Amino acid sequence: MDEELGDLTESDFILPPIKYEYLDHTADVQLHAWGDSLKEAFEQCGMAMFAYMTEMAYVQIREVHTIEANADDMIGLLYHFLDELLFLFSAEPFLICKKLVITEFNTEEFRIVCKCYGEEFKIGTHPQGTEVKAITYSAMQIIDEPKDHKFEVFVIIDI
Amino acid sequence: MVVRSYNEELKYLEKINSHCWRIKKGFQPNMNVEGLFYVNDTLEKLMLEELRNSCRPGMTGGFLPGVKQIANVASLPGIVGHSIGLPDVHSGYGFAIGNMAAFDMSDPKSIVSPGGVGFDINCGVRLLRTNLSEKDVLPIKEQLAQSLFDHIPVGVGSKGIIPMNARDLEEALEMGMDWSLREGYVWAEDKEHCEEYGRMLNADPSKVSLRAKKRGLPQLGTLGAGNHYAEIQVVDEIFDKYAASKMGLERTGQVVVMIHSGSRGFGHQVATDALVEMEKAMKRDKIEVNDRQLACARINSVEGQNYLKAMAAAANFAWVNRSSMTFLTRQAFAKQFKMAPDDLDMHVIYDVSHNIAKIEEHVVDGKVKTLLVHRKGSTRAFPPHHPLIPVDYQLTGQPVLIGGSMGTCSYVLTGTQQGMTETFGTTCHGAGRALSRSKSRRNIDYKDVLNKLESMGISIRVASPKLVMEEAPESYKNVTDVVDTCHAAGISKKTVKLRPIAVIKG
Repeated sequence: MDEELGDLTESDFILPPIKYEYLDHTADVQLHAWGDSLKEAFEQCGMAMFAYMTEMAYVQIREVHTIEANADDMIGLLYHFLDELLFLFSAEPFLICKKLVITEFNTEEFRIVCKCYGEEFKIGTHPQGTEVKAITYSAMQIIDEPKDHKFEVFVIIDI
Repeated sequence: MVVRSYNEELKYLEKINSHCWRIKKGFQPNMNVEGLFYVNDTLEKLMLEELRNSCRPGMTGGFLPGVKQIANVASLPGIVGHSIGLPDVHSGYGFAIGNMAAFDMSDPKSIVSPGGVGFDINCGVRLLRTNLSEKDVLPIKEQLAQSLFDHIPVGVGSKGIIPMNARDLEEALEMGMDWSLREGYVWAEDKEHCEEYGRMLNADPSKVSLRAKKRGLPQLGTLGAGNHYAEIQVVDEIFDKYAASKMGLERTGQVVVMIHSGSRGFGHQVATDALVEMEKAMKRDKIEVNDRQLACARINSVEGQNYLKAMAAAANFAWVNRSSMTFLTRQAFAKQFKMAPDDLDMHVIYDVSHNIAKIEEHVVDGKVKTLLVHRKGSTRAFPPHHPLIPVDYQLTGQPVLIGGSMGTCSYVLTGTQQGMTETFGTTCHGAGRALSRSKSRRNIDYKDVLNKLESMGISIRVASPKLVMEEAPESYKNVTDVVDTCHAAGISKKTVKLRPIAVIKG
């Protein structure tokens, strides 16, 4: 995990539009994210998870970390991608992310490299939202239909 | 998943008596045993509505209803008895929440499944008594609530205040509450009143990933968020005077403290890691299941054994966690009342686990068998005279602690012989959600909830404002319905009803 403190350029601060929502689930919450590509839907899904933990308006971009996720199939890749993000928050550097940019999205070897922009989560600065315990495969769906321009993901997170 | 119309689905469900339904084979593919679930009229409606909502062929983004999940669990290799849904059952991850399933240890095909334990390994409830009365607490209730809130780290992103380094963590994982005792955080007699005496002996920290330890270290001694809480409660009603007095609960108005928490990020990561490992083991051993979430491994496989050892370490983490908060609670009370916790008689009444898998002996078809009993969102409830319950409760049966939702009541039950035979000594664990979290946020007003709690005389300290709506009593099944069903079905017995006067939440 490399750190590029103080190495942020102006374009890093441009925030993407919100393309996610939270759907009903009895005990947990279901993230539904979409985009103009599957890569964007993945990024949005990660941001949806972070937005559930706090109010994004209070989060600033102060540092960037890079994560890597590998898997054996697409469903596994989405799972591990989110799990890596959750780990980034749960242990050092306790990063709460405002923006995610996937720099490598390999759907053949099932590998993701992602830049995560945000800051360390601090009680007092950041309102406490809901804690995410784990990512689940429960009813996980990836809709990848380029000819209909339909790119969506559904993930239930355990809270 | 089999897609059928709601009316066709109902043909597979049969009401056996006023409190129990049978799920027949065929409801889901490959069922080895039948399913059972316990509900009363009110809970029955909720259960069937969840099923009806899922009977919409072709929809995207849906999830399996609890009753389907109970049936899927019945299809796992090695299951004996029934796959059982308790009255607080609702849809969960693979297994339903409020699900019990036992697997025959002598059958080489039998499995262990992390989904049958849940992500929050050894999530549970602990009850501390005091010799205080409601009238002693009322004048300083707000200060006491604030003091508890200040002492116990709560909510997302909070960090523990009990000093811990990586080596301490290793020891704590291995020793469970023996570690807490050695470090001076608990009293020797606290251990007596915990399942397994607060320590699972087969815990092996070397089977736990570095990732889990990294997540666990900063969170030890924290309450967590979601439905976890610490509540100051008073005895509202005593149903069984003898059993209550064995627990040191002598009169209505007596003050107790309930702590509901688990193994935090540590347990979550152990579960996550195991699921990934087991996916591979399933392919290798050609174990077919109805749902990818039911990832499992044979008990005797390397993956199965590794999981049980790591799970035991997570269980120990949870006991240390609840013990650390017990320590903080005693400190908070001692400071406010300027009396030692000893003099306040702040003993642990009992500590239950409601997310765990345990090796137990049960009678199956007239023969004693060693079973691996998965209890997810369900609580062990052993009857009187069972060798595994503490000497103080030999005559009453094991105390079972049932936490209500915010602002409603909680219960203490005791285990029964009927429960031992019907459900392998298992009963409900709490209220169980009725409304989804997002529905709660849309339909329930923040101010209404706070005003209502205030009018009921309940002080509240919550780290996350949106939790107030999500955890509002309206979002849950009525805990009294749940407990009454267990009592009427005879799988456990009502002993004491508790009412909250202060709530601390993440």
